[in-house]
Amino acid sequence: MSVSRRGLLGRMAFGALLPGLGALAVPAHGAEAVSAELATSAALLNAMFPHDALDAGFYREMAARYLDELATRPEALAAHRAGLGVLDGSYIAPFVQLPEVIQRSMVAKVDQEPFFTAFLMRGAELVYRDQRAWDLLGYEGSSVEYGGYLDRGFDDIDWLPAAGGTQ
Amino acid sequence: MTTFSLDDSSVFVIIGSGAGGGVLSRELASRGHKVVCLEAGPRLTLGDVVNDETEMFNKLTWLDRRMATGKPDPNFPVWGCKTVGGTTMHWTGACPRFEPHEMRALSTYGEMPDATLVDWPVTPEEMADWYDKAETRMGVTGTQGYPHLPPGNNYKVLEAGARKCGYTDMDTHNMAINSIDRDGRPHCRQLGFCTSGCAVGAKWSTLYTEIPAAEETGNFELRPGCMVTGLEVGEDGRIASVTYLSDGKSYTQKARAVSVAGNVVETTRLLLNNRSQRHPDGLANSSGLVGRNYMRHFTIQVMGVMPGKVHFYRQTHLAGVVRDERAHRPERGFAGGFLISTVPFTPEVLAKNMLTGGWGRDLTQVLDKYEYLAGMLLTGEDPPQLDNRITLHPEARDGYGLPVPVIHYEDHPNTIAMKDYAWKAGRRIYEAMGAEQVIEMGDYIPATHNMGTARMGEDPATSVCNPFGRTHDVANLFVSDGSLFPTAGGCNPTLTIVALAMRQAQHIDGELKAGRL
Ligand SMILES: Cc1cc2nc3c(=O)[nH]c(=O)nc-3n(C[C@H](O)[C@H](O)[C@H](O)COP(=O)(O)OP(=O)(O)OC[C@H]3O[C@@H](n4cnc5c(N)ncnc54)[C@H](O)[C@@H]3O)c2cc1C
Ligand code: SF4
Repeated sequence: MSVSRRGLLGRMAFGALLPGLGALAVPAHGAEAVSAELATSAALLNAMFPHDALDAGFYREMAARYLDELATRPEALAAHRAGLGVLDGSYIAPFVQLPEVIQRSMVAKVDQEPFFTAFLMRGAELVYRDQRAWDLLGYEGSSVEYGGYLDRGFDDIDWLPAAGGTQ
Repeated sequence: MTTFSLDDSSVFVIIGSGAGGGVLSRELASRGHKVVCLEAGPRLTLGDVVNDETEMFNKLTWLDRRMATGKPDPNFPVWGCKTVGGTTMHWTGACPRFEPHEMRALSTYGEMPDATLVDWPVTPEEMADWYDKAETRMGVTGTQGYPHLPPGNNYKVLEAGARKCGYTDMDTHNMAINSIDRDGRPHCRQLGFCTSGCAVGAKWSTLYTEIPAAEETGNFELRPGCMVTGLEVGEDGRIASVTYLSDGKSYTQKARAVSVAGNVVETTRLLLNNRSQRHPDGLANSSGLVGRNYMRHFTIQVMGVMPGKVHFYRQTHLAGVVRDERAHRPERGFAGGFLISTVPFTPEVLAKNMLTGGWGRDLTQVLDKYEYLAGMLLTGEDPPQLDNRITLHPEARDGYGLPVPVIHYEDHPNTIAMKDYAWKAGRRIYEAMGAEQVIEMGDYIPATHNMGTARMGEDPATSVCNPFGRTHDVANLFVSDGSLFPTAGGCNPTLTIVALAMRQAQHIDGELKAGRL
C-alpha cells in the first residue's frame, strides 16, 4: 500500500468526521462480528498510535497479533482484560464508540498501568515494524540490496540555503 | 588454523575480541607471541548481517541479565555486544581524539566537588603518536590522508543550522568507515544501518579486520563461544590459568599472562568475582577502586521537524559533527564540553524513544512527519565519581551462574548543567533552519560508552592499573578496554581504546622479550 500525501489528507478529513468510530466501521472477517475484546484492543491501539491513513483493519490485525501473543501468558492476558474492562466501563458507551477526545481522557486514566505500558511498547513494535506503516511514513527500510542510498538520494536535499563547503 | 593446547603455559590469553581485545590480539600475534583470544559470543560472517535493526539487536547484543540503580534503566543499563568483534559490530565508527585539556582534567578544570578528577598518567604528546597509528590502522577519514565521507542530508541540515548559530568547526567527522576502498574492504555505500553491523564491511569492526589479520600470523587462536569465569592465581602471585565455559562445559587454559578486555561491565565483574585469600576484595583490588568511577557520557537527542524533506535514515548514522562546544569554557556554567553529531531513527525506534514523552497524537504528529525529521545526538564529558559504581549482586545469578552486575549511576551536577545547555544549543540549530517543531529527547539510551572502573595511574593506592594498563597488584594481568580511562573526555572512546591497546602491546612485547613477563 502506498499512500500519497493527497490520499492522506483525504483520509484525515474522513477520520475527523468520524472520530473513533473507525474500529466499528468495517467488520473484521466478512460479516462476522469482531469480538468485543479485539474491538476494544484495536481501538486502544489506535488511540495510542493514531494515524488517520491507517485503516481499522490494520489496527485490528495488530491487536489480534498481540492477543495471540498474550494467549500463552495467562497473567498478562488477565491484566489486559481487566484494563479493557475499565475502558469499556464508562456510562456512555463501549470504548470503541466514544469520540476520540473522550477516548483520550479514558486512556489517560490507565496510561501508567502495567497492562497499558506493555501493550504500548509491544504495540509500537507491531505497528512500526509493518511495511504499511513504513509506506505511510516514507521510510524505505533495508537498502543493501539496492547498493545503499549512495546513488539513491543520501544527499539529495534541495531546500537548504546555499552554504559554504563542508571540508 | 593454529590451535594451542590447554596445557600450553606460554600463551598470552586475551579475554574479549572487541576494540581493545581484537587490536591487542593482532598486535601481539604479529610480534610473534602466541595468543589465545576467548570470546563469549559467536563468530558471525558478513552474510549474517542484514539491514534489520531488531534482528541484528537480537543477534549481536549482550542480553544476559544486568541490573541498575539510580539513573539508568533498571534492567538494561548498558548496550554492548556479545559476538566476535564485540561492540565494534554495533558502533557507529566516530573516532575523535581526546583533547589535551581533557587528559589534564584536574589541572584544567580544578577540583570539582564530589568528583575524582585526575590528570592522565600518559601525556597528550605521547598519545599523539599512538593516535596517528590507530587512525592509520582503522582508516579514519579526515586523518592520515584518508578523505572525508561525503556530506548527506542529515549532516547538511546540521551544518547549515550550526553556521547560522555562529559555529565554525564542523565536517563529516573522523570516521573509521572507509571513504575509499582500502584494506580489502569497500567504501561506504550509505546503507544507513551502521548500528546493525555494516553489511558491506565498510565500517571498521574487529570481526573482519584485526581478527583475521591476527589469524594470518599463525600465532593466534580465536575461541568463540567461550565465556571466561575464572582467573586463577598461582603460588607466585601471578595468574596461572583462565577458566571458561563453552557449551556448558568448563575448561582451563594455562597462561603466561592475561589481558581482560570485556568492556568495563564484564571486566569489572571478572575482577570482582575472582576473590581469594590473597585478593579478598577481588583481583587487583587492593585500592578498593575496581568498579568505582564508572563513567558513561551523557547522550541526549534533539530532533527537528524541518520545512523540507531530510530522509535522515538514508546515510551513515553518525554523518557529521560540530565541535565548537567541545572546548572548556567555564563561563557556560560547567567544566568540559560536548560534541554535536547526527543521528537517525527507524520509525520503530523513534516511536519507542518518544513513548517516554507520551502516546497518541503528540507522538504520531511527529511520526507523520518522518521524512521531514533531522536528528542530532549530543554527547558530553562525564566527571568520575567514586559512588558511580559497578558491584555484584549478592544473590541474583545470570544464565552462567555468575553474580549479576549492578550498575549504579547518577548524573553529576556538572553533567546536568551541561545537558541543559546542550539541549538549548541543539534546539537553536534547528530553529535557525526554520524547524516547525523541535523535540528534545532525554538521556535514556543505555550506556554505549563505558569507562573508568579500573583507572590507570602511577600510585597503587589511587589507581588499579599502571600507565600501561598492567594491574598494580598482579604482575601478569592487564586491562585493555575503557576501564582504564582516568577521566572520560568529551568524545567517543574507541579510538583512544585502540591507541592505548597498541601502546600497551608495544610495552608487553618489550616485557616479554626482556623476560620480565
Ligand atoms: C550503538 C553503539 C554505537 C557506538 N558508537 C561509537 C562511536 O561512534 N564511536 C566510539 O568511539 N564508540 C562507539 N561506541 C562504543 C564502542 O563500541 C566501544 O567503546 C568499544 O567497542 C569498546 O571496546 P571494548 O574492546 O572495550 O569492548 P567490546 O567491543 O564490547 O568487546 C568486548 C568483548 O568481550 C566479550 N566478553 C566480555 N566478557 C567476556 C568474558 N567473561 N569472556 C569472554 N568474552 C567476554 C564480549 O562478548 C565482547 O565481544 C558505540 C557503542 C554502541 C553500542
Ligand atoms: S552507512 Fe556506510 S558504514 Fe554505515 S552500514 Fe552503511 S556502508 Fe556501512
